[in-house]
Amino acid sequence: MIAGLLLFLILPLAVAVVVYVMRQWAALSSILAFAACVALGIIIIVIPLGRTVEIWGRQIVLGGTLSLLGRELVLRDFDRVAIAFLYLTAAATLAMAWWVSRRSLLFPAGLVTLSLLSGSLLIRPLIYSVLLLQIALAVSVFALQREDRGPTRGGLQYLSFSLLALPGLLTIHWLMERYALTPENTALLQASAVLVVLSFAMLLGSVPFHTWIPSLTGDGDLLASSFVLTVNHSAVWFLMFSFLETYPEFSAHADFASLASTAGLAMVAVGGLFAAAQRRPERMVGYAALIDSGAALVALGLYDERGLALALLALMVRPFGLVLLSAGLQGLRAPGNQDDGLDALRGMAWRSPGGALAFLMGGMSIAGMPITAGFAARWALYRALAPSHLGSALLLIAATVGLMIGIWRTFTVLMKCPRLSEGEEPETERRGPAPGPLVPGLVTAVALASVSIGLWPQIITPISVQLASLVTFLP
Amino acid sequence: MAMLRALIEQWTALTATPAVIGVFITAILLVVSRDWRLNLLGLAGKYTFVALLMIQGMRLEMVALKGLIGWLICLVFYLTEQQSKSLTRASGETEELSLQTWTAARIETWRRKGVSAPGLFGFMAALMVAVVAYAAASSLPLPETPAEISLVAYLLTGLGILLLGLSRDPLRIGIGMLMFLGGFDLFYTALEQSLVVTGFLGTLSFVIALVTAYLKTVQAANIDTGRGG
Repeated sequence: MIAGLLLFLILPLAVAVVVYVMRQWAALSSILAFAACVALGIIIIVIPLGRTVEIWGRQIVLGGTLSLLGRELVLRDFDRVAIAFLYLTAAATLAMAWWVSRRSLLFPAGLVTLSLLSGSLLIRPLIYSVLLLQIALAVSVFALQREDRGPTRGGLQYLSFSLLALPGLLTIHWLMERYALTPENTALLQASAVLVVLSFAMLLGSVPFHTWIPSLTGDGDLLASSFVLTVNHSAVWFLMFSFLETYPEFSAHADFASLASTAGLAMVAVGGLFAAAQRRPERMVGYAALIDSGAALVALGLYDERGLALALLALMVRPFGLVLLSAGLQGLRAPGNQDDGLDALRGMAWRSPGGALAFLMGGMSIAGMPITAGFAARWALYRALAPSHLGSALLLIAATVGLMIGIWRTFTVLMKCPRLSEGEEPETERRGPAPGPLVPGLVTAVALASVSIGLWPQIITPISVQLASLVTFLP
Repeated sequence: MAMLRALIEQWTALTATPAVIGVFITAILLVVSRDWRLNLLGLAGKYTFVALLMIQGMRLEMVALKGLIGWLICLVFYLTEQQSKSLTRASGETEELSLQTWTAARIETWRRKGVSAPGLFGFMAALMVAVVAYAAASSLPLPETPAEISLVAYLLTGLGILLLGLSRDPLRIGIGMLMFLGGFDLFYTALEQSLVVTGFLGTLSFVIALVTAYLKTVQAANIDTGRGG
């Protein structure tokens, strides 16, 4: 009999090794990585907890507690959905990577990261979760390096900020153990609260620790950056929920809601301002992610189950926007072109309509515009905020307008007629062979999924509501 | 084994202060010097002195594990620099080969130009961080930690952050991260002596070393192909 939990730790590592060895055969290795992610994402949802099932002649049991190196691995209902979300989001990102960066290290590094993140969600006590998360974040930097560029400064900044968050998160465990023994010593609780706020602010890229986010998208592999900002970011959120559940003193703190709201609004305001003024579309993607993270924090600041469900919904629909936007933009850039400016994209919509469609649909979704997946989360948030926090809702709308200005500016450049000087070869010639019918099909499928969720949000909202009911840190 | 342990403990009790001074010198060297050979020597020395300091309050096998990871990291950096050197040499940049010519070239540079402005700035900043670390260790000693380890933990953490802020080279940024992590590790070992934690922290250090080594190689390869870095 196989302990099902081990599958999620060992199988991605094994596939990662095979994918790395086979990276010369780009199509085969990317299909293998994609298939592994889809299979694991579905298996964890389909196999019932605690029941033995037979797959390919092997008996597998999922759930319960497993001991590994003397530490406990526990699968709860929440973790089950969370792990499935991470694997399926990764699958979508890898499918897009097959289009835009086939030789990227995202395939093997992404699989190793997923294995470590699964371990981080399952292992207890939390200090081991934190350490596994840190190792996962460090591994993902391999994927951020672009083939045709110098070393990624954004990746190094990301690694530095996440490393700066480590001491706080590890020390909290010891401080809270001390506080449990001496509850009259409130200085221990205050110190822990400060550490937890600072640590998660750095990991989530809250203002003023946000600088790594636009740097990451600006000079790193864009699709790998969106992997970091969806998969890794979600794992950080899930870890934060685990902290809040393990130490309810933090969520019961009088300033919890206002702190989450303020941090979220600062991210929204900075993201909106800089996205509108941005002349480099890749950095704009980073500010779009900043606004979306801020919106999720604002939702958490509502301090009730509805707010938590909205934060989870924002996390769940983010890949539709960010992955599509990143894939579109990366697909529009000519490989090897060192010019990151807006003008280099002039007229590219005529050369790569699939890329332009992905850029537009992804941009609209991450901005929360109607008929896209992002709208489902954002509209519900506006409605929840409007009665009691009208100013927050208006700021969020203003940031959305700022982001849409940036997206529209880029899109109009994409739609302009291409300019050719005398003797210059057309851009299509420089871009190499056309990607074939699968790429427009892939983009259309994801765009259609996004529109479907935008039109019928009831497809996804029950999942976030159910997930929120499983999280127990709220009063 | 017991006799060996007793011997080592007696010896390290005598060398606690010299080990602190050793860490101080090697850490400052890491901040000031931009020469990879000196940096590698400094890093290896830093790991040795930190291991000596750790023996006072830790199991010998854990100290050995931490020391081994540190020296392995030095080996990774050495191999990376060799690889970068061969890549840049292929692009036409020449490097002095023997120790003698390298030393002579260094002395000649110092004689002609004196200490470089970034080097001087780094030295002054490192001294300031050292003063702050001393003040912090005196007024806010880390819990469950001997005074000298507290001082070294503050020093390494502070200098690690300083190096992160001052550097653009991936390997130097990596060294900054490892210094920061090493400083925290000194403190955290006193709180949590689990072998699994030691293993995970060691793995994290090693992954950071591999990431920065990879980025350094990319930088050299891009100089080779004329894309800069």
